[in-house]
Amino acid sequence: MKPGGILMKNVTLDYRLYHDRAVTLRDTMLNFFNRKTRIEHFRALNDVSFNIAPGSSVAVIGSNGAGKSTTLKILAGIYKPTSGTSESGGRIASLLDLGVGFHPDLTGEENLMLNGALLGLDRNEMKKLVPEIVEFAQLERFMDTPVKYYSSGMFMRLGFSLATSVDPDILLIDEVLAVGDVGFQDRCYERICDFQEKGRTIIFVSHDLEAVSRLCRRAIWLHEGSIKMDGSVEDVLSGYIENVQKKHIAEAATPTEWGTREIWFDSVILRNTDGTPSGTFRRGEKIVVDTLIKSRLPSTVDNVVFGFSIHRIDGETVIGTNNLEMNQPLLSFRGSVASRIEIDLSIAEPGTYLLGLALTDPEANKDYHWQEFFYPVTLLEKRKDTPLKLSEAVWIQE
Amino acid sequence: MSKWRIGRLFLLMQSLVAKDLKVRYKRSILGFAWFLLKPLFSMVVYYFVFTRILRFGGAIPHFSLFLLTGLLPWNFFSSSLSASTSSLLDNHRLIRSIYFPRMTLPAAEVTANLIHLLLALLVLEILLITFGHYPGLSIILILPALALLTIMTTGIALLLSIGNVFYRDVKQFIEVLLLAWFYASPIIYPLDSIGVDIIQSPRLVQILKFNPISGFMEIMHSIFYAGTWPPLWSWISLSSWSIVFLLAGIAVFRKAEPVVVKEL
Repeated sequence: MKPGGILMKNVTLDYRLYHDRAVTLRDTMLNFFNRKTRIEHFRALNDVSFNIAPGSSVAVIGSNGAGKSTTLKILAGIYKPTSGTSESGGRIASLLDLGVGFHPDLTGEENLMLNGALLGLDRNEMKKLVPEIVEFAQLERFMDTPVKYYSSGMFMRLGFSLATSVDPDILLIDEVLAVGDVGFQDRCYERICDFQEKGRTIIFVSHDLEAVSRLCRRAIWLHEGSIKMDGSVEDVLSGYIENVQKKHIAEAATPTEWGTREIWFDSVILRNTDGTPSGTFRRGEKIVVDTLIKSRLPSTVDNVVFGFSIHRIDGETVIGTNNLEMNQPLLSFRGSVASRIEIDLSIAEPGTYLLGLALTDPEANKDYHWQEFFYPVTLLEKRKDTPLKLSEAVWIQE
Repeated sequence: MSKWRIGRLFLLMQSLVAKDLKVRYKRSILGFAWFLLKPLFSMVVYYFVFTRILRFGGAIPHFSLFLLTGLLPWNFFSSSLSASTSSLLDNHRLIRSIYFPRMTLPAAEVTANLIHLLLALLVLEILLITFGHYPGLSIILILPALALLTIMTTGIALLLSIGNVFYRDVKQFIEVLLLAWFYASPIIYPLDSIGVDIIQSPRLVQILKFNPISGFMEIMHSIFYAGTWPPLWSWISLSSWSIVFLLAGIAVFRKAEPVVVKEL
């Protein structure tokens, strides 16, 4: 195999899945005698094959649990496939977990030497690399300090510099680019771009689709352990995004309306606190639901319960209550009545929600009119202060 | 996967052992001396117990030196096994993030303890000479004997480190086992005619010779304490147990490694 090339052939990997894991010998004995050994296998990767040419940058995308990290671990030689083969050429550096080999009591320099040995470098090679690693991590002053006194940013910086300093033929990156401050992150990206220019192979696992499209030209989309799509980054990303959205729409609640309509909502208007009709509300603002309710029943109706609900767009109920539950006056009218609900919410998670309304009489076991998932409301953070404030403006004609 | 040549493997072992030694005695005033102090303290305790309370030690001249001769390698043996039992679990993040030969983890624990033992043996020899136990030519045999002891200990360490990943009971069990093993080993008593007098059962003495560590203890007593050539049975016992444990250790470790990595 050429340095930098990767060939995965029909790779399958099973994990043992423990439901009620027997960790002590006694449990095992008991389970053994009860014939209740509950070992199940979970297939993390199922018949995955791909071929990566030296010098290409490939992204691996997919939802959580799709098998992305498992794939990297197999490439790094950490896991052995249950069946199938994985081959690669040249030296591999993996950015799976930064600074794991560091011992807190050893100094920065001692840790670098130890990790060099773990990566399989000989002492002279490592000695030559140390100044460069230290410089890139900007930790010149801290190399004789035990790493337990490092800030987490310093720790990560040293880890990243070390892992990328060995000039690998293949670089495996697992979502670790959020290292240090913005300045350091930029230099990390720069270093990765350098690798690309030098013709090294990069396998990049990330949920950051923007970074994926910036760094890679090919993408592999894993879904539940199998390859769903493998192609140019544009095609795969658009397929992936479309699929994610489709799932949302399919699960989304569509407006529905039912009831006897003996009493019904004739008109509904949502307004904000100052009375203007609106579907967007900021933190601290009330949602005012202005309704005109009509009745076709000949006599006065009493004890009408007026309720509302708020659902997330995926249909999950967030709030559902009514005037009966909240000890507020029930509706009592004949013909028609204007009724208003003022809803004051504390917003934890801004976003779009669906408001529903209902008119019922639980005592008579009647549903007059339900409008579920009916009125979209967008709840936002409080607006920040306007970036500019006018102090004064003067118009002068001379 | 990068190929691990023997030279790089050696360097990795060296680095892991150096780390172990550096880390162990950080913030400790007596530091390295503890490896000698621990057996010295236990020697004093056993000396008083077995000469003042149970009174069989009196039959052995310079009983304290006899005790120390056995306690030093025992300390190596038991410390190595306790430390290596949890070596894979303690390094689970490392194991799951980069590939390197994982056998080096338990093996490095054993090697770090071996370095302690070598220094302690040097001090022992000085003490022995001071009290008139001059070494004979047989002293050169300490090198092959130590090599075999290390091989045996590493083999057991590999087995225990794997076992402990599947069942945490191993760590608890090994402590109890080592306690029993200590008394079943010729450390506080010899396996010669004096030993038969103390134990008062020639058959039991013969059985105790099958203890895997008995062979090495007999070699220690012959070389250091008595200054004679070790008996043949001790070599046969030590080398057969070493081969058995090393082969079993490597075979089990190799077989279990792919599963263990996912279990950690």
